[in-house]
Amino acid sequence: MFNDLDPLLHSQLRLAVMSLLISVESAEFTFLKEKTNSTAGNLSVQLDKLSEASYITIEKGFKGKKPLTTCKITPKGIKAFEDYVNNLKQYINK
Amino acid sequence: MFRIQTYMKTQSENLSAQESLDIITGMIEQAKGSVQKNSFYFLLWGWVVVLANLAVFVLIRFTDYPNPFIVWSITIPAAIFSIIHGIRKDKQSRVSTHLEKISAAIWIGFGITCFTFIIFGAKIGWQINPVITIMCATPTFVSGVIIRFKPLMFGAITLWVLGVASFVVGSSELQFLLSAIAITLGYLVPGYMLRSHEN
Repeated sequence: MFNDLDPLLHSQLRLAVMSLLISVESAEFTFLKEKTNSTAGNLSVQLDKLSEASYITIEKGFKGKKPLTTCKITPKGIKAFEDYVNNLKQYINK
Repeated sequence: MFRIQTYMKTQSENLSAQESLDIITGMIEQAKGSVQKNSFYFLLWGWVVVLANLAVFVLIRFTDYPNPFIVWSITIPAAIFSIIHGIRKDKQSRVSTHLEKISAAIWIGFGITCFTFIIFGAKIGWQINPVITIMCATPTFVSGVIIRFKPLMFGAITLWVLGVASFVVGSSELQFLLSAIAITLGYLVPGYMLRSHEN
């Protein structure tokens, strides 16, 4: 089952992150961490995977002296998310 | 309520279609609440404009003061304060939504248009009060729609109605009184309701 579902998105945390990012313009690491209730380490790993696939962009900067990581979904990421949802619909309609 | 914790289990776990769907809808729901409900601007500008209007009304009706419109210069520090507050808030916010950007663009555009009408006031027969009151209605209504807050939408309708009334009254000091009432009902009342909502 779920063979044609994008394996990159078919994971709890990555799917949650993509669902958040599709709804907003950009979000900080702490926002994603809080909303997904994940650990910093795990979130960081999953964000890197999404970034490697060019589904999201990660911008690293500083807010005052604190490091700041801001994530944004890319057009490729939006397309992948839409495809994932469309495939999901087919499974549900079956 | 939908529990976030339930789906942040292990990575390798197989997701059912329903679980996937729950994650998507749950997260979108979470993000939806991220549009800032900002009563600050409504309260700041509400008080500034109401007090300025009342002051101009009192000065014209009860005194011989030659230049009552000087009162409006209090909008300059208010504008500077708004900009500083906006920049500071923007830096603090951990998430930025498209709707917030739309909202900011509409209000900045409204501010620029107001400024233009004030500069060219003579060209429109100094009907600045009704023009600005009516114009206020649009961004206020849009803000109400964006944050899903009905009192702001009703406030916007009140602004429009009293703006029209201000045209009907014509060029008299009563326009200032009408504007003060319009802004009290259109900005301050929904502004305070929004603030109690935020808390």
